[in-house]
Amino acid sequence: MKQAAPYDVVVVGSGAGGGMSAYVLAKKGLKVLMLEAGRDYKPEDETPMFNTNDQAPLRGVSTPDKPFGYYDATVDGGWTVPGEPYTTAPGSEEFMWWRPRMLGGRTNHWGRISLRFGEYDFKPYSRDGLGVDWPMTYEELAPWYDKTEALVGVTGGGEYHGAGLENTPDSPPGILHETPARRLHEIMIARGFESMGIPVAPMRAAIIQKPMNGRDACFYATSCGRGCSIKAMFQTTTVLIPPALETGNLDIITDAMVYTVDMGKDDRASGVTYIDRKTGEHKTIKAKAVVLAASAAESARILLNSKTGRYTDGLANSSGTVGKYLMDTVGASTSGHIPMLEGMPPRNDDGMSNSHIYVPWWGYGAQARKELPFPRGYHIELGGGQRMPGMGIAGLAGYSNVAFGKGLREEMRRYYGSDIYFAGRGEMIPNEDCYAELDPDIKDRFGIPVLRFHWKWADYEIDQATHMRETFNEIIDRLGGTVTGGKSKDGREAIAKGGEIIHEVGCARMGADARTSVVNKWGQSWDVKNLFVFDGAVLPSNPDKNPTLTILALAMRNATHLADEARKGNL
Amino acid sequence: MQRYIPKIDRRTAMKWMSAAAATMLAAPKMVHAATYVKTPKGYGTDPDMLNPSAPWDRIMTDRQLQVTAVMTDIILPEEAPHPSPSQIGVPDFLNEWVSSPYEQTQDDKKVILYGLDWIDDAASKRFGAGFVECGADNQLALMTEIAEADDDVRKDFFQRFRSLTLGGYYTTPAGFKDIGYIGNVPLEHYPGAPKEMVAVLEEKMKAIGL
Repeated sequence: MKQAAPYDVVVVGSGAGGGMSAYVLAKKGLKVLMLEAGRDYKPEDETPMFNTNDQAPLRGVSTPDKPFGYYDATVDGGWTVPGEPYTTAPGSEEFMWWRPRMLGGRTNHWGRISLRFGEYDFKPYSRDGLGVDWPMTYEELAPWYDKTEALVGVTGGGEYHGAGLENTPDSPPGILHETPARRLHEIMIARGFESMGIPVAPMRAAIIQKPMNGRDACFYATSCGRGCSIKAMFQTTTVLIPPALETGNLDIITDAMVYTVDMGKDDRASGVTYIDRKTGEHKTIKAKAVVLAASAAESARILLNSKTGRYTDGLANSSGTVGKYLMDTVGASTSGHIPMLEGMPPRNDDGMSNSHIYVPWWGYGAQARKELPFPRGYHIELGGGQRMPGMGIAGLAGYSNVAFGKGLREEMRRYYGSDIYFAGRGEMIPNEDCYAELDPDIKDRFGIPVLRFHWKWADYEIDQATHMRETFNEIIDRLGGTVTGGKSKDGREAIAKGGEIIHEVGCARMGADARTSVVNKWGQSWDVKNLFVFDGAVLPSNPDKNPTLTILALAMRNATHLADEARKGNL
Repeated sequence: MQRYIPKIDRRTAMKWMSAAAATMLAAPKMVHAATYVKTPKGYGTDPDMLNPSAPWDRIMTDRQLQVTAVMTDIILPEEAPHPSPSQIGVPDFLNEWVSSPYEQTQDDKKVILYGLDWIDDAASKRFGAGFVECGADNQLALMTEIAEADDDVRKDFFQRFRSLTLGGYYTTPAGFKDIGYIGNVPLEHYPGAPKEMVAVLEEKMKAIGL
């Protein structure tokens, strides 16, 4: 540790919220300490760029040790973390919680989809009477989206930019990088959706198409989920943490598992205490302000475990809503086989790891006319093409008339690249049945109480999943194909488990009223003025548009506010 | 067919032998807890990305490996310039797979090893020579039999064996060449779909009214 204590700010976490917070605060001249529960991680040194599946154990397939496959960037984690369990309450639907233990957190393997929330998304209660409004408008956050996109580097512009779709905001000219050309199957899928009257838009992904800030442009090869040693895709470990360190104002301690916020005099936080995950030692850090960005549920866990003095229900919890209004994204998917793609010659379908198009929610009008049984929207992500073969490639033999021997190679070539898939990603409405609390019995290997999740999908979400499946069945049929997986239109059967889409947000929501929210619109605790939450925990709703870009924009805005207040002597 | 010689080197073989079983983490007794249970001899949750290894011991007998090699090459015979599976080490991969300590490969372990012994034994009984030695026509007859079998045991064996063979084969650079995967190369500019291919697609879309 280089800096003399106390620090101005201690930031807990190094993912989207923590990385952006540390970047802004260090750039603004504050002395910052970042604590990360996992190990140090440097994508430039560790990313298996270009490695083929035959170089990995079991051809890189998913195992309990690496649930998203061998090459996935996630370190020491996934659906379970060694020695750090979580539980699901008896009688509850299952909730799944993805956690890594590495610097940069989930930004090292994330899906990169970067969609702005729209004006409706900030005022959902005012529109349909469900959930709560945000204590801000789209216009207030828009300049921060601009700055975030410019810093992070987001593709989505070019030929197809400016669709002007309802509640799907464009970025100002000059910010977005040009979207690469469409792949063969994307041209076909776009035509199919257009025949249904559904507009298709260029994908927005945090991948750069031109060099910037010492980062190379995407070179259209090797999967982003492994991390990116050329820094073309956004990871805090390549984009935000290095420049923050260069200011000389940031120190980082890894393997530091924070479990409590400590209180000083006058209802002010004095710092945090963490466990060194390597030695088991407990260490206390003093700081003038505390920023929690440990991920939505983990930040709530820290607050609930901070039971000091009169805070018997956890810290910053006078509203009783810490851990409440946990949300994930509604997910359902379908795959199909498309004969018109059979026998097409080899082409390079790698492109960006993401699809180059997506389908924004098109049903606002139908919902306004009460024609749909669910109130909020979903967007469609899609895939296909001649991508690098994994073990799933063997499934193509199922279409073949040749079981083995002469002729099978030709059949494999014919069917390669003729499968496509669709995944719906929809808005869940916060409900009273979905929340996290401390488990009364179970502790982690350090002796700290773990989270117990409660989960129940409501009819709104199940009906939406039904609609996703209806849409996917129809588009595959229009393309002359057959559904090969995910055919059932029963939403209950189709819907992914809570947490499975890894968009868990809420648990310390922001609001305009201290009685019903944990933090104000600056991410500042109503109860403890020098305690801030700068991660997905603060989201009062979870629009269909993947949350990371908004977490980044909020962290940038709120950390800037925090730095300004510090400069005025208000810390 | 020549006798199959495993493609692994001595250093790798030594590594498998010396891989120590790791200690189990104490798991809480809660039924609903999502708890990480370490797989003994698995590669762990933070394996070396740049120097991957599958550290578990291999369990196929030499006889099973020889049968595997013959079978993989009947499924995808060499068609120049494309090598057969055994020429690029696919039988080693099947051995790695059925030997894996991970739960999801345990069913395959039973199905494949039982199947290999069954087909070798069936050849001995019917033709007086094991599967490896019984000659191409007899090998083909047995393969056809299991491919068309309607009992679950032989059907599963054929399906799973073929899946592992095809997956093992087409995930290699030789497999890429055969099937037509031309990616995994850095490009300055992404070209998108070739014009002539788009023209063909347009005709096909027009034909179904799109």
